[in-house]
Amino acid sequence: MSDRITFDRTLYWLEAVEAAAAAYAEHARIELTSTPDTVVAVISDVLEYEPQLVANAFSNHVLHETIARRRQATLDEAG
Amino acid sequence: MAAQEGTQESRLGFSLGTDHISFDLDETVYSIEALYGASYLFLEKCFIYLSRPTAGTVTVRLTSREAISPADLDNLAGEFANELLSQVARLRLSQATARIREYYTAAALRAAASAPSVDDLLAELEAEELLEDPLEIMVPWEEKHGAKENETEPK
Repeated sequence: MSDRITFDRTLYWLEAVEAAAAAYAEHARIELTSTPDTVVAVISDVLEYEPQLVANAFSNHVLHETIARRRQATLDEAG
Repeated sequence: MAAQEGTQESRLGFSLGTDHISFDLDETVYSIEALYGASYLFLEKCFIYLSRPTAGTVTVRLTSREAISPADLDNLAGEFANELLSQVARLRLSQATARIREYYTAAALRAAASAPSVDDLLAELEAEELLEDPLEIMVPWEEKHGAKENETEPK
């Protein structure tokens, strides 16, 4: 059984999805497929936790990474 | 902000699911920066997922971390919406006052650059001839007025 989450690239950064996938590698298998408009994450082989919880937490992590990276990019541009 | 079709509508007009609540945002009213600002503050409280059903619209879905009542989900979305408005107002104020802040920062930096350093002030003090005493403040009273005092002494 797997969860499939589609991240719109106008809202989420590809680098953020990749960083979150790397961070969650020890909890589940996450395969990413990117197109110009979206990044699709397929989450499977979830260990230890409830699959839906991991999917939700993974989404939050991607959003957090996106916001942090955007802020850093803004600071870099200003500095 | 609008509830999605085909779902139960909450008291505040959001789309209510079993463990989540969602609503659409018009990007011309709520900018992405404001949405990120509010989302960042709510990442600890709930799970947030953003999607874009159409250009110019963002759907926000908030999922509770634990089982909560529909009323609590409604409150969560209401708090998020309030924070969103606060972020929009803050961003607009920040943009409106950006030039004033730039001016004051530049003025402060100019003043700091032209202000003398502590070393300069110490050197200036050393250069001054502090031992000059044109008003003769350091001269004892007796030396200056000794004769007069002797005359007024009681006999």
